This record gives sequence, C-alpha cells and structure tokens, in this order.
Amino acid sequence: MDRGDSKARFANVVMPHLDDAYGLARWVMGNRADAEDVVQEACLRALRGIGGFTGGNGRAWVLTIVRNAAYDWLRKNRSPAVVHVDDLEAVERMQLADNATSAGDNPEAALIARADEAKLEAAIASLPAVFRDTLVLRDVQGLDYREIAAITGVPIGTVMSRLARARGRVIATLGADT
Amino acid sequence: MTTTENDRLLLNAYIDGELDPAHALEFERRLADNPALADERTRIEALRGAVRERLPRETASPELRRRVAALARPRPFATDWRAGPGWGAKWGAMAASIAVAFAAGSIATFVAIGPGSQEPVPEILVASHVRALMASQPIDVASSDRHTVKPWFNGKLPLSPRVVDLTAQGFSLVGGRIDVIGLTPAPTLVYRVRQHVISLTALPASLRASGAIRPIDGYNVVEWSDGPLAYWAVSDVAAPDLENFAKAFRAGEAEP
Repeated sequence: MDRGDSKARFANVVMPHLDDAYGLARWVMGNRADAEDVVQEACLRALRGIGGFTGGNGRAWVLTIVRNAAYDWLRKNRSPAVVHVDDLEAVERMQLADNATSAGDNPEAALIARADEAKLEAAIASLPAVFRDTLVLRDVQGLDYREIAAITGVPIGTVMSRLARARGRVIATLGADT
Repeated sequence: MTTTENDRLLLNAYIDGELDPAHALEFERRLADNPALADERTRIEALRGAVRERLPRETASPELRRRVAALARPRPFATDWRAGPGWGAKWGAMAASIAVAFAAGSIATFVAIGPGSQEPVPEILVASHVRALMASQPIDVASSDRHTVKPWFNGKLPLSPRVVDLTAQGFSLVGGRIDVIGLTPAPTLVYRVRQHVISLTALPASLRASGAIRPIDGYNVVEWSDGPLAYWAVSDVAAPDLENFAKAFRAGEAEP
C-alpha cells in the first residue's frame, strides 16, 4: 500500500473514532494532556499499521491501539502500581459473595440514581484499571461484550466478571455515600 | 434464596442484552423468584442510567483533531506539523478538508465512469457516512419523530424514502440528511443503535448493486430494493446487526 492510500484509509478508519479514542485515553490517563499525547501516539501507530487492518470493526481496532499505547505510556512513565488482576479478582469474588444478600426496599438505588457527575466520575476513576476500562468501554462507550473482549485481550467470561465487579464496586461506593 | 456469583454475571449480561433469548427467559424466571437479585438489578440500572445521563461525553479538542488530521494529510513538502505555530494552524485547516476531498474524489470517479456503472456507489456511501460522523452532527434534521423527518425530505427531494419506527427493535431514529451520490441528491435516514450510527440512503433502483457487496474499511454495507427504490445501509455495527436492521426496516410499517 502506498503512503497516499494509507493516509486515505487512516482518514476513513481512524478519524471517525477520535472522540471515542480520546474518551478512553482520558479515563486511563486521568488527565487531558497525557490523554492527548497518548491519542496522538496511538494514531501514529494506527497509521503505520493501517495496512494490517483487514476490515471488520474499525472502532474496536482503534480502541485496542489506544489502550495499548496508554498502558505502554504508563509503564514507561509512572510507578509500577499497575495491579495484579488475578489477586484482586479473587478478593473481589469473596467480597461479592459476602454482600450479596442485601435486600429490602433498595434505598441504595435511589442514592445511585441521584449521584452527581463529580461523585460518579470519582467512583469510576478510583476503580482498579482493568475494572475501570471494562466499565468505561461498556457503560460510557456502549461497546458490546465481544468488542470489549477483543480490545482488552481477554475471554468474554472475564469481561463479564470484570464488569460485574466494576459495577458492584461503584454501586457500593455510591450507595454508601450519604 | 441465595444469590450466587454466577447469578450476578448473568444479571449483568441480561441487563446488557447479551443473553440469547432462551437464557434470557430462563434468567427472567430466576429474577422473579429472587428479590435480592431483583434489587441488584434496580441498582445496576440506576448506575447505568446515571452514567448515561450525567457523565459528559468526552470529545477530542479541536487542537488534537488538527494534530491527528495532519497525520493523514498527504505531504507534498518535507514539512512537519511541529515546524511552527504558523504552520500548525495552516496544516490543520488544510487537513480538516481531507474528508471532503476524499468524498469528492470518490464522486469524481463515479462521474467519470458514468451513471451506468454501479461499482463506486458503496464507496461513495461509505465516504458520506464517514464525513457525516466527523461533522459535529451526522444529520441535517434532528428528530426522532418520523412525522417530522418524512415531510422534511418531501419538501426537498422528488424521491421520498420510507421512514420506519424501529425503536422497539433497538434502533432509534435520530434524523435525516441529504447526501449527493454522483449528481443525484439522495435522502439518508440516520438511526442509532447503542453508540453506533447507521446511515440509510434511498437511491433509484437503477443504482442497485450488481453483485455481492464487501465491507469497506470496516464499514458494513447492506443493500436491498423496494419497488422503484434501492435502500443502502452503511454502519460500523457488526454485519449480523446491520442485517437485523435491514430485516426490521423491511418488515416495519412505513409512515402512512
């Protein structure tokens, strides 16, 4: 593929998903400036790799590259606090089983429904990275499980359990808040 | 009645519409028997509603958009976008016209080949769809009411599309726009499913596809005919979803 072709395809495949790309990067990086750098880096990678895009889901392809670029950036520039997911998921499983029995007239749901933007954002931002990514891809960006599995490189079952835990945690945070 | 880990996974998948009908039915029975699970459902739906309504959609800044568009711009000179502030603005402005240039290029091909050829129609439709996605609004008339959208076209075009309400099937009408295919202005309906946009363009049946249509740059294209019109749907939703859309649209009751 010659360079002109690559660029035309890039404009077609990548540009329409720029808001989604930035939205995901913003959640992963936590601030605007780093998110913009990551998106730009991801777009460079996408342009170089556009010949390898064989069609299919352009948005999922772009978001995969953005997510990889974001984590590469974090690994290079920030402390290695990027969580061990396996341990975390085991702990979560126990905690979930514990508080699974709450019933009654559901005052939490009302609290959650009323939570303002700042509280919601803080609750989601404080999630461990893998849970947060899954929740953002599903509830903020509206991707389906198959797409999320492709982007995060895990089986659909893992997407399901991460999403259940992510939502469980955010609900616990918002529901406890009075 | 205990709520198991597995129930919770299924509950989330159920709420997200990811269970097949048989499992969904089975799960609904379980939901009816288990008040704790039903409460959890209310909380998850409250959370989803709050996220949808209250979290602002993040959008790329104009500056970022310019920087990225500059990557896609063919460079006749060995110049970098970082060369200076003056260049930055200039390149940005030029880059912003890329999608337009791309669409115009496709149309030029079509016109050169002549209206008898059907080959480039899918490319033109995808280009129109992409250009619409990149504009701040993919529509000229914004309305979820088909009684508004249909008359809007009637006032402008000789060719009037069916407008079908598909809300119940998960496809919400968001409006319409006019695309120009070759030299033919054509009505395009815009639907949304989840976060995906579907462009549905009505063309004279003489512009029907001559064979199988392949996806173009990740956009699926589906085409069918209805009397004097050919309908073309373009979207980045998965191919089966677009087929479902086409099926629902054909089966749907048109605006009287």
